[in-house]
Amino acid sequence: MTHYLLLFLAGFAGSFHCLGMCGGFACALGRDPGGRVATVLRHLFYNSGRLTTYCFLGGIAGSLGQLLCTPEGLAVRLLGGSLDAGQRILAVVAGVLMITMALQFFGLLQGFHRFAVGFGGSTFTVSLRSLLGAHGRAAPIALGVVNGFLPCPLVYAFAAQAISTASALPGILTMAAFGLGTFPAMLMMGGIGRLLEPTWRRYGVWLAGGFIMLLGVITIGRGLLPMIGPDGLSGHGGHLW
Amino acid sequence: MTAAADALCSHCLLPIGLRPMRRMVNGESRAFCCYGCCIAYLVKSGSSEEWEAAWLLIRLGVGGFLSMNIMLISLLIYAGAFTGADARLVPWVHLLLWILATPALAVLGGPHLRDAWHNGLQGRLTASTLVVLGVGAAYVYSAISVLAGSLHVYFDTATMVLMFFTLGRYLEAAGRARAARDLGPLLAAESEWATVVEGASQQRLPVREVHAGMLVRVKPGERIPVDGMVLEGESQADEAVITGESRPVSKMIGASVIAGSINIDGSLLIESSGAGNQTRWAQICRSVRDALIRRSPTQRMADRVLAASGPALLGLAIATVFYWYEWWPFDQALLAGLAVLVVACPCAVGLAAPLATSLGIGQLARRGCVVRSPAALEALARVRLLAFDKTGTLTAGKAHLAGIESEGVEDDEVLARAAGLELHSEHGFAGAIAAATAARGLEPVATRNVRIIPGRGIRGAADGQAVAAGSAALMSDLGWPLPPSLAARARVLEASGHSVVYVGWAERVHAVLSLDDAPLPEARSTIEALRRCGLRVALLTGDLAEVAQRIALAVGVDEWEAGLSPEGKRVALDRLRGTNGLAAMTGDGLNDGPVLAGADVGIAVGSATDLARETADLVLPADGLWMLPWVIGVARAVRRTILTNLMWAFGYNLSAVALAALGLLQPVLAAAIMAGSSVLVIVNSLRLERLPVPEPAGGFTAPARQFPVLSPLDRSASAVAVGSSAAIQDA
Repeated sequence: MTHYLLLFLAGFAGSFHCLGMCGGFACALGRDPGGRVATVLRHLFYNSGRLTTYCFLGGIAGSLGQLLCTPEGLAVRLLGGSLDAGQRILAVVAGVLMITMALQFFGLLQGFHRFAVGFGGSTFTVSLRSLLGAHGRAAPIALGVVNGFLPCPLVYAFAAQAISTASALPGILTMAAFGLGTFPAMLMMGGIGRLLEPTWRRYGVWLAGGFIMLLGVITIGRGLLPMIGPDGLSGHGGHLW
Repeated sequence: MTAAADALCSHCLLPIGLRPMRRMVNGESRAFCCYGCCIAYLVKSGSSEEWEAAWLLIRLGVGGFLSMNIMLISLLIYAGAFTGADARLVPWVHLLLWILATPALAVLGGPHLRDAWHNGLQGRLTASTLVVLGVGAAYVYSAISVLAGSLHVYFDTATMVLMFFTLGRYLEAAGRARAARDLGPLLAAESEWATVVEGASQQRLPVREVHAGMLVRVKPGERIPVDGMVLEGESQADEAVITGESRPVSKMIGASVIAGSINIDGSLLIESSGAGNQTRWAQICRSVRDALIRRSPTQRMADRVLAASGPALLGLAIATVFYWYEWWPFDQALLAGLAVLVVACPCAVGLAAPLATSLGIGQLARRGCVVRSPAALEALARVRLLAFDKTGTLTAGKAHLAGIESEGVEDDEVLARAAGLELHSEHGFAGAIAAATAARGLEPVATRNVRIIPGRGIRGAADGQAVAAGSAALMSDLGWPLPPSLAARARVLEASGHSVVYVGWAERVHAVLSLDDAPLPEARSTIEALRRCGLRVALLTGDLAEVAQRIALAVGVDEWEAGLSPEGKRVALDRLRGTNGLAAMTGDGLNDGPVLAGADVGIAVGSATDLARETADLVLPADGLWMLPWVIGVARAVRRTILTNLMWAFGYNLSAVALAALGLLQPVLAAAIMAGSSVLVIVNSLRLERLPVPEPAGGFTAPARQFPVLSPLDRSASAVAVGSSAAIQDA
C-alpha cells in the first residue's frame, strides 16, 4: 500500500506539471452556464475521462509486462533465465526509463518528443482542438479521454512503472494512483483558473522530478538487489482485492 | 524572439532544457519544453477550423470512455479478482458491464447501423453490415447470458471491436482531411475572392466577377487571383503553380503577374488583363477537379472485388460458426464467426487508391503539371517508350544563328552588314541575326534604300556599296559570283538540315550564315534522365531526315523517324510500341493532335489550349520539358504506393480471414489490426506529400553542337517562315 501512496504523492507533485501542460484544457472547459453543479460535473467528466485512459494504459502496460515475463515471453527466452530474472530485468529497464524522465523534468535531457511527430501529432492537435470547441454534455468526457493520450513525460514514466509490475491489475492500480494524485490540482484548475506563478510551478515540477527519480531508483533496486524480491517493495500481489 | 523568451516553454512557461523543441506557429518560431506542450499550444492558438469530424470524435471519446471501463472490469475478471468469497459479485459485475455496454454500442455502432440499414434497403451488403451482424450477435448472446446467469459474457469484445472500427474511421477521416487541406487551394480557384479597388473604396468580389481593366489589391501572402500587370508596389511572387519553378520572381511596376502565383512579401495593385475565370490557373483547377472525380482503373477493380466479397464472407462466417459448434461450446464458435466478420471488413482496400491518386495529382498541379485523370497517371507510370516530336518540343521551334562561313572577311563585319539590312525586315531569320549581332555587341551598319524581295531576301546600300542577304537565287539574280569553296560549304550545311542565308556586298558573295532550330538546352539532360528511368526514347518528326538525325544526335536519342505526316506519326508510334508495352507521345500540342490522342499517354508541353481541348492526358507548363522525369517519378511513386497498399490490404484480409475461420484469431485483436491496417494505408499514402521537388537534372548543360552558339533566342518570338533556300519544315 505504501507503494501506491508514494505513486499518489508523485502524481500530486507531478500535477504541477499538469497545470502547465493540461491545465489549459481544464481552464478552457471553464464554467458551465447550467450552474455550479453542472460545472463540477463537467470537470468530473473531464477528469474521469483522463483517469480512464490512464488506467487503460496501465492495464495494457501491465499486460505487456506480463507477456514479457511469462516463461514463453520474450525477456525470459532471450536471457534463458527464470520468470524472476525476466521481471528483474524489466524492473531495471523501467527504472532507467523513469530516471531519464526525471532528468527531463530537471531540464537536463531532451529528445523524447522526437518519437512522435508527423501524422500522429497533427491529427492529435486537430482532434483536441475540435473537442475543445465542441458543444454537448459528452464532449468533456471525450476531451478527457483524448487528453489522457497526450504524450507526456509524466505518463510515460508511470507507464514504465506499470510495465515493471508485470501484471494487469497492479498496472491499472499504478496508473490509477497516479491519476488520482493529479485530480485535486486539475479539479481546482477548472474552478479557479491559473493561479500559481510559473516559479512555484517550477518548484513543483522539480518536486515531481524528485519523486520520479526516487521511484526509478527503487524500481532499479527491485531488479538489482538480491534480498528484495521483485514484489518486495511494491506490496502488491493480489491481496489488495 | 528574444533569448530570454526562448528560455521558457511557450506553452507552460517553464524553463526549457538544453535542447528545446522548435516549431513555427502562426509564422512565429516558438520553443517548447516537450512535445505534449507543443501540441497543447497548437490546440490553443492554432487557427480554429470547423471540422466535420468533431461529432465523430465525441462519439469516439465517449465510446472510448465506456469501452475502456468495460475492458478494465473485464481485465479484473480475467485476472481472477472475483474468485472465492467475491464470486457472488460476478452476476452484478456482468450486469454493470451490460449497463455500460449498451450506450457504448449505441454511440459507437449507431453510424454503422444506419449505414447497414440504408444499404440493406437497397439490397446491398457492405462492410458495415458485416460489423453490425457480428457485434450484434456478440451483444445479444452476452445479454442472454446475463439473464441466464451464465459465466461468459463478451461485452468487452463487442465494444472494443466497434471502438477500433470507429478509431480506424476517424483516422481515415483525419487523413482525408489532411489531403483535402493540401488540395484545397487547387479546388478553390473559382470560389476565391479578389479585393477590387474602385476609386477610394475597396470591395471583395468573387474571382469570376472580375473583368479586364479592374484594379485588384493583393496583400502579402495572398494568392494573386487574376492575370494582369503591376501598377503599384513591389514584391516577389512564387509562380510554381504555373511555371513549375519555385524560385521567387521579383515583380516591379509594369511587370506582368500570373493568376495562381503567390504574392510573397509586398502589397501589389494589379490591373486585371482578362476575365477571372479564363486564367490558366482557373483552367488548371477545373482540370484537377475533373480528374479527382474520376476513379482509377485499379480502384474500380478493387471496388468490384469488394462488392462481390460481402455475401461470400457472410456465408463464410456463418459456416465457421456452424463448423466450430460441432467441436466447441456455442460462445467460442460465435467468437470465431465474429472474428471472420471483423477481419473481412475491407476498409483498407477501399482506401488504397483514392488518397494516393489525389495526392499525386495535387503534387503535380502545384507545379503547373495537369493530369487529365487518375487512369492517365497510372498509364504514365507503366510507360516504357517515350516518343518526342521535334519542333517546339525538343527544340525551341525558332530559328537561331548557328554559324558563319566567310571568305576573306571578318565574321563581325558580315554580321554587322547583315544586321543593318535585317533591321528593316520582319522575317523570322531577321530576328535571329539581330539577336546574334546584339549578343556580340556589334553596331549594325547603317543601310539605306532597303528593298525586300519576297521569297528571295533583302537588299540595300551602305557606305556607297550595294548590300544583299538572302537565298542563292537572289545572288544569281544580282549576278554576284559565289566562290566555289563557299558554295561547297553551303551545300554541306543544307544537306545537314540547316537553313542558309548568303550575305554579299561590293558585287560579290562574302559569307554564308547558317540558321538552325536549336535543341533546347535542357533537352539532352532530360533525355538522359529519362533513360536512367529505364525508358526507351524515340524522335518522330515531319522534318527532313538530315535535320532529324542531327537533332537526335545532339540530344542523345538513338531511334528516330523523319518525314512523317501527323497520321504517319501515329502509325510509327504504334509500330514502335508493338513490343514495348505502353507508349507516350510528347508534343507541343499544336500540330500533333492525332498522335497525342492515339498514344497511351499524350503529353503536351506548354499548350494552354490543350487544357480545354482535352487532346492531351498530361499538360506540362511552357518550357516545362525538364520536369518530365520528375512527373514520371511522381506517377511511378503513386502507382507503387497504390500497389503496396492493395497488396497489403488484400494480403492482410485474405490471411486474416483464413486464420479467423480456423479459430486462431481473437476478434479484438483482429479489429485492432484492422484499424492499424487502414492507418498503415493512409500513412503510406501520405508519404507522397514528401516527394522531392523537381529540379533540373544537374543544371542545363548546353548540348553538343556543330557550330558555336552565338546567342540564345527569345523563345517568345513568333515562329519562322520560309525565306531561304532551305525551309524549317515543321515549324
